[in-house]
Amino acid sequence: MNKPGKFSFGVFLFVTLFLHIPLAILVITSFNSSKSMRWEGFSLKWYHELFYNSGPLWHSFWNSIIVAISSSAVATVIGTLGAIGLCWYSFRMKKAIQTLTFFPVILPEIIIGVSILIFFNKIGLNLSLFTVFLAHVTFNIPFVLMTVMARLEEFDFSIVEAAYDLGATELDMLLRVILPISMPGIIAGLLLAITLSLEDFVITFFVAGPGSSTLPLHIFSMIRFGVSPTINALSVVIIVGTALVALSTKNLYSSLLKR
Amino acid sequence: MRRAGEGFHQQRVDTVKSSQVTVENVSKSFGDFFALQNASLTIANGGFYSLLGPSGCGKTTLLRIIGGFETPSQGDVCFDGVSILSLPPNKRHVNTIFQNYALFPHLTVFENVAFPLRLKKTAAAGIKKAVQENLELVRMETESKKYPRQLSGGQKQRVAIARALINQPRVLLLDEPLSALDAKLRQHMLLELDAIHDKVGITFIYVTHDQAEALSVSDQVCVLNKGEIQQIGSPAEIYESPANEFVARFIGETNYLHGTVAALTDEEHALFESPDYGSFSIYLDKKVQPGSKVALTVRPEKIRIAPQKPDKLPPDVNVLHGTVEDMIYTGFQTKYFIRVSQNKEPLIVFRQHVQYFMDEKPITWKDKVCLWWNSKDSFMVEVSK
Amino acid sequence: MRKNYGPIYVGPVAFWLCAFLSVPLLITLSYSFLEKGLYGGVEPHLSLAAYRSLFNTAVLKVLLNTIIIAVLSTAMMVALALPTAYYIARSPVKNLLLMLIIIPFWTNFLIRIYAWIAILGSNGLINSFLMGAGLTDSPVQFLYNRGAIILVIVYTTIPFAIFPLYSTIEKFDFSLIEAAMDLGASKTVALWKIMIPNIRSGITTAVLFTFIPTFGNFAVPKLVGGTSSWMLGNLIERELNITRNWPLASSMSVVLTSVTMLAVLFFMRSQNKKESSR
Repeated sequence: MNKPGKFSFGVFLFVTLFLHIPLAILVITSFNSSKSMRWEGFSLKWYHELFYNSGPLWHSFWNSIIVAISSSAVATVIGTLGAIGLCWYSFRMKKAIQTLTFFPVILPEIIIGVSILIFFNKIGLNLSLFTVFLAHVTFNIPFVLMTVMARLEEFDFSIVEAAYDLGATELDMLLRVILPISMPGIIAGLLLAITLSLEDFVITFFVAGPGSSTLPLHIFSMIRFGVSPTINALSVVIIVGTALVALSTKNLYSSLLKR
Repeated sequence: MRRAGEGFHQQRVDTVKSSQVTVENVSKSFGDFFALQNASLTIANGGFYSLLGPSGCGKTTLLRIIGGFETPSQGDVCFDGVSILSLPPNKRHVNTIFQNYALFPHLTVFENVAFPLRLKKTAAAGIKKAVQENLELVRMETESKKYPRQLSGGQKQRVAIARALINQPRVLLLDEPLSALDAKLRQHMLLELDAIHDKVGITFIYVTHDQAEALSVSDQVCVLNKGEIQQIGSPAEIYESPANEFVARFIGETNYLHGTVAALTDEEHALFESPDYGSFSIYLDKKVQPGSKVALTVRPEKIRIAPQKPDKLPPDVNVLHGTVEDMIYTGFQTKYFIRVSQNKEPLIVFRQHVQYFMDEKPITWKDKVCLWWNSKDSFMVEVSK
Repeated sequence: MRKNYGPIYVGPVAFWLCAFLSVPLLITLSYSFLEKGLYGGVEPHLSLAAYRSLFNTAVLKVLLNTIIIAVLSTAMMVALALPTAYYIARSPVKNLLLMLIIIPFWTNFLIRIYAWIAILGSNGLINSFLMGAGLTDSPVQFLYNRGAIILVIVYTTIPFAIFPLYSTIEKFDFSLIEAAMDLGASKTVALWKIMIPNIRSGITTAVLFTFIPTFGNFAVPKLVGGTSSWMLGNLIERELNITRNWPLASSMSVVLTSVTMLAVLFFMRSQNKKESSR
C-alpha cells in the first residue's frame, strides 16, 4: 500500500547512475592503452607510469600522510578533552566556546584558508608543511569534538557521579571511565579527521608553501594540465584504497561498538 | 451503560447511514505465512464488534483488509451485501482510528479534524460547523486551537475520533485505540467510546488484545489465534462457555482439572475420574464419549473456599480438599493458590471480601481448606491426545 | 563540592581555536578596513576603499553569478535529493541503497571533479566520440561555463542534501500518510500535505548544507569555470595571490562570511521556532 512510487524510483535511479557513471568511466579508461579517451586496447601502462615514474606525486602523497596522521592525532587529543569538558561540566564562557567550535564547520573553507594565510603572514610564519599541519588541526578539532560528544551524550552524568561516589579521583575517572566509554567516539573522530585531512584541498591550497604540496594539491596541478591517463589510474587506486580502508574500519568500528 | 444513550441512539439511527459488514472466507498470506485463514463473520449494522486475540493473531490484518490497506489473498468483504474489495480505501465509507492516533503534528486540532473536508474543498462555513459539531461530540471544542503535542493522550484520542467521524463513515475501525493510554484513562475512554458509539449509531469494529476491554463494551466478540477464528459470541458466552482451551486461557484466569469421563450417569451428568482429584459427578455442557480425556475448567471466582467442609452444602456441588500454598492479598479480594494434588499446578481461587471481619481468623498459609463449586459452573474442553 | 575541571578540559580547544581561528578572522576583518600595501599586505591607515571597490560592476557581476549558481544548484540538489531520500527511506534495503550513494563520495573531491573534465573536456570522452563519429571537426566546449559549474557542484555536493533528508524521512511516521489516505487524500496529496510539512527541518538542513558550500565554492569554478563564470571565491583568491589587494580580498571574505552567517541564523531561527511551538 505505502510503497514508494515509480517517480521516486526513477529519480533515485537517475541520481545513482549520475553519481556512479563518471567514476566508472575513469576506471575503464585507466586501462586504456591510448593517451586519448578513445579505447585502443587494454594496458596497465598508466599504472606502471603511476607507480614507477611519478616521483613528485609520491612525495606529495607522503606529505599528505604526515599531515593527516599528525594533525588528526593532535586534533583528537584536543577535541576529546574539549568534548568531555563541554559535555559534562559547566563554567564561564562555555556557550562562547561552544559557538566557536561550530565556526570551522559552517564557514566556507576558503574563508578559513584566507584568514589563516593572512594570520601566518602577519606573524611572519613562512608557509611550509608545518603551516599546513596547523591549519588541518584547526579544521579537524570540531569534527572530533562533535563525534566524541555524540558518544558521551549517550551516557548519563550519573556514571561520573557514581565513580566519584566509589572513590575515584579525577584522573581515575578520566582513564578508567570516561576514555573507555568514549573510545568508539574517539576512534570515529580520529578516522574522520584523517579522512578530512587527506581530502582537503581548499584550505591547503592557501597555506601550503613550496615543497609542501599534498596529494590533493598535486592532483590539482595535474588536472590543470588537462586529461592525463595517469590521473585515471591514480583515481582507481584511490577509489579501491578508500573502499578497502572504509570497509575494514567499518568492521573495526562495529566490533568496538559491540564491546 | 448502553441503556443510557438508547433513546438518543434510536433517533440518530434513522438519519445516520451505517452498514452491516460481512467477511466471507477471507485469507491473507505473506509468503508462506498465513496471517489469516478462512475467516468468516458477520457484523451487525450499528453493532460494537471486537476482534480479540494476542499479537500476531490476524486481527489487525483483518481490520486492514476491511479498511482497504491490505488486499486479501482470497475471500470477500461486503458492506450491506455489496463487495467493497475493488474500492479504494477512500471510497469505502470506512474510517480508522489508528493505534498511535496518527494526528498530523503540524496541524491544529481544528485543522486535523477539518483535513478531510479541506480535501473535499468544502466551503469554509460548512467546515466550521461540521468540525464544531464533531469536537463537541468528543468534548474537545475548547481545545481547537492547540497542536497535538500540547494534548494529553486521552485528548489526542478524542481528536482522532472526531477526525475519523467527520467523513460520516458507515463503519468505524478502531485499531487498539487505547493501548497508548494508562490503565485508569483506558477505563474512562472505554466508557466514552461506548457513549460515542451510542450517539453516532454506526458500526464499530474494535481490535484489541485486552480481553477486559473487549468484554466490557462489545455486543459480539470474535476471538482469533494464529490467523484462525476460535470463537464468536457475546462477551458472556465467550467467558462462561469458551469453545476451546485457547479461549478459556486467553479470557481471564482459569483452572484445569485433567481427567477422564468414566461413564455417563444420565442425560446431563457424567462421572469424572482423575488420579489427582478423585472422582465426582460433573455437568455435561457438551457431548462427550465415555472414556475421553477432558480438562474440566473452573473459573477461580466460581470456587468457594472455607476452613472446613460446611455442614450443609447445596446439591450438585463438587468438593475438593487442599492446602494453602500461597496467597496474594489485593484489597477487594484474596487470590489463593491451593495445593490439591502433588503432581499438578495448585488451583487458583478468588475469595471476595464481601465482608471482612478483622477478628475472624482468616485463611492463611499452610491452612487446610475445603473447596467447592456448583457443577454447572465448570465446563469441559477437549484435550487432544 | 569537588573541583571544577571543566576549564582544564576545555582549555586546549579554547586556546587553539582562539589562536588559529578567532584571531585570524579578526585580523582579516580589520584588514578590510585598511589601505592596501604596495606589494601586498596593508598600510595601517583606516579606509573604506575596499568596501567601495565591492560596488565595482566587475565585482557585482561575479557576486550575481555566485548567487545564481548557488540558488540554482541548491534548488536542483534538493529537488533531486527529496525523491531519492524518500525512495531510500522507504526501501527494505535502505542501508544498501545508502551505501550506493556514499561510495562515490569516498573518492577524492578533486578526482570527482576531474571525472567530469575527462568526460566533457576538449579531449574528453564526449568530444572524442563526436570527433570520431565525424559529427564535429573541432572539439565542442562543454566546460568553462556556468552550466558546467552547476553540474559539477551538484555532482560533488548532492549527498549533503540526501543525508539530512533521508534521516528526517526515515524518522517520519508513515502511518500519518495512511491516516490521511483513510480520510480521503490521494497518495500524492498525502505526501505533499502531510509529509513535506513534517520534514521541514530536514529540508532546511539540506538547503543550508548545500547552499553554504556552493556559495563559498572555489575549487569547482577554478577547475571547470571560465573567467566569465567566476564565483566570489575565485575573486578572493585572485585578490589575495595575484593582484595582491589584501583589503579587497578581506572585504570580500567579510561579505562571504556574512552571507553564510545570515543563512545559518535564518536556519537556527526556523529550527528554534519549531522547537518553541513544540
